[in-house]
Amino acid sequence: MKTLVWTFVLMVMVLAFLPSQSVGLTIGEKAPLFEASSTQGTIRLSDFQGKKVVVLAFYIKDFTPG
Amino acid sequence: MQAFQDDLLKFEGLGAQVLGVSADDLETHKRFSAELGLRFPLISDSDGKLAGLYGKGRITFLIDSQGVIRLIQPGFPKNEEILAEIRKLEKKP
Repeated sequence: MKTLVWTFVLMVMVLAFLPSQSVGLTIGEKAPLFEASSTQGTIRLSDFQGKKVVVLAFYIKDFTPG
Repeated sequence: MQAFQDDLLKFEGLGAQVLGVSADDLETHKRFSAELGLRFPLISDSDGKLAGLYGKGRITFLIDSQGVIRLIQPGFPKNEEILAEIRKLEKKP
């Protein structure tokens, strides 16, 4: 019986942690800073701070829809 | 990315910068941009550095001018939802 209870507790804990791990970042959190090369030169996220809102769109592959 | 180009004037009108990111190399990105006529930058994340920081797969983040994440949209981007959120940010003092 005790083992069964502990198995249940463990399952609940695992399920509770799974979604947060798959998303990682949350709303209200600071966006991780980065520097990367782009079709219009080097992009630094810090360059936009205090100036512009940024829409950062990750997609799968060029020449595919979306 | 075509959908972002279609709505680019709306995003620019609200002072937002659109950035596309995928693992493709810059050469492929340039051909893709030329074919679709994209005027916003495409970032080459060939080493997966950004995906490692932000998460894998198709996902869009709205980052305000203070660098704070305001919207996380998994799946295909929904421009109207993103634009509405930017308008909300503008109204705040």
